[in-house]
Amino acid sequence: MRGIKTFSTAVAAAALMALGSVPASAEHHEGVERIDGKPNLNGVWQVMNNANWNLEPHSAAANPVADRLLGAIGAIPAGLGVIEGGEIPYKEEAMERLQQHRDNVIYHDPEAACYLPGIPRATYMDHPFQIIQGNNDDILMVYEYASANRVVHMEEVGIPPIDTWMGTSYGQWDGDTLVVTTLALGPGLVKLPAGEMVEGVTWLDRAGNYLTNHATVTERFTLAEGGNHIMYSATIDDPTIYTRPWTISMPIYRRMEENAQLLEFKCVPFSENLLYGDLIEEQGAD
Amino acid sequence: MHMKKLSAAAIGAVLAVTGVGAAAHHSFATEFDRNKPVRLEGKVVMFEWVNPHSWIHIDVNRGGRTERWRVEGGAPSALLRRGWNRNSLPAGTDIIVDAFQARDGDTRASAAEIRFPNGRELSLGNPTTEAVAAAARRAGN
Repeated sequence: MRGIKTFSTAVAAAALMALGSVPASAEHHEGVERIDGKPNLNGVWQVMNNANWNLEPHSAAANPVADRLLGAIGAIPAGLGVIEGGEIPYKEEAMERLQQHRDNVIYHDPEAACYLPGIPRATYMDHPFQIIQGNNDDILMVYEYASANRVVHMEEVGIPPIDTWMGTSYGQWDGDTLVVTTLALGPGLVKLPAGEMVEGVTWLDRAGNYLTNHATVTERFTLAEGGNHIMYSATIDDPTIYTRPWTISMPIYRRMEENAQLLEFKCVPFSENLLYGDLIEEQGAD
Repeated sequence: MHMKKLSAAAIGAVLAVTGVGAAAHHSFATEFDRNKPVRLEGKVVMFEWVNPHSWIHIDVNRGGRTERWRVEGGAPSALLRRGWNRNSLPAGTDIIVDAFQARDGDTRASAAEIRFPNGRELSLGNPTTEAVAAAARRAGN
C-alpha cells in the first residue's frame, strides 16, 4: 500500500515536471492527470440525472406498476431529457415493439429482471461505475449494477464472434477523447416473468426505448478540466429502427468520497419474485 | 426441504413452458448417465449461447418420429476460445453427435464433440464429457 502511494506520487511528480518542461499542445486539456500521455480516467463515476427513467424529456409521475405499494417513494422524477434534438427518431416499423415495451414497463424491463444492461444504459443507471485504465493497455469498465463489466479493447473495430448482453467494445483515442465503439448488443432469447420466452433487445431506459443487435453505439469520454467530470456522449446508429443516427450527452461526475468504491449489487435474488412468483403462488407458499 | 420441492417444480415448469433446458450449473454425473450413450443425427434448429452451458437444439429422426434433442456444450467463453462464432452452426446444418443421455430420460444429452457428414469434428468444450467419452472408448477397445 505504502509502495503504491509512493510510486504514484513519483509518477505525478514526473508528470508535472514533464508538463512543466513541454508546452501543452492545443488539443491537450491542461490540468488533467495523464497515463501514457492520455487523460487518466481511473476513478469511480456516476451520472446525476434521470436518463435511466426516460432518455426523452418527461414529467414526474407515479410509479407505473407499484404506486399502491410504494407511493411517492417509487415515483418517477422529472427529466429534461438527454437527447440532442429531444426525441428518438424511430421508424414507423419500430413502433409496434416500442408500444409492447411501453405497455409492459418494469415487467419486461431487463433491469427489473437483473439482466445485464447493455451499452450505453450501463453508464447512466442509478449506480456508480469504475474505470480501470493502465499504461497502453485495454481499459476495463466495471458497473455496480449486477456486477456488470466490459473490456474496451484498445484496437481497431473488429467483428464480434457473437451477440452478448453487453456487446463487444473497441476503443481508440481521438486526441484526448476516448472513443468507444460497441457492436453486437443482443440478449438472444429472454425469459419474461411467468416464463414466456421472447427474442430480446437492449432496453435503453425504463420507458422501453430500445436498440437492436444491428446498432453501432459510439461513445465519447472527454475528461474535463480539473479531472472531476467527464463529458460523455453516445451516438446510436441502427438503420433497422431509426431514421437517422441520434446522440445523447450528459456529464458524468467523479465520486469524491475518500472511500468511494463499488459495492455489491448482485441483484439476481431480488428479481426472483418477479420472474418466478407465479410458481411460488402455485405452490401455495407464503 | 420446502425449497427443494419448489425449485424442482420451478425447473419443471420452466421446461414445460419454454421447452428450453435451463438447467443450472452441475457436474456431468448428476445430470447425465455415462451408461446411456446415444447417437443423434439430425438438423440444427437453434444454438443457444447461454451460461453456464450452451445448448444445440437438433431435430432427430428416431424410430420414424422427429424428436427435438438438446445437446449440452461448454460455456460460451470456452467455445469462443476454441474459435466458435455465430456462424459456426447455422440452423439446418446436418450434424452427428455421440452423446450421453440425461438421467431423467428427457431428450437432453451431453457430448464431447459434434461431427459433420464430411467427417470434420468440432470440440464442444466439455472437459468432463470428453473424459467420459475417452473412458468409454477405452472400455470399448
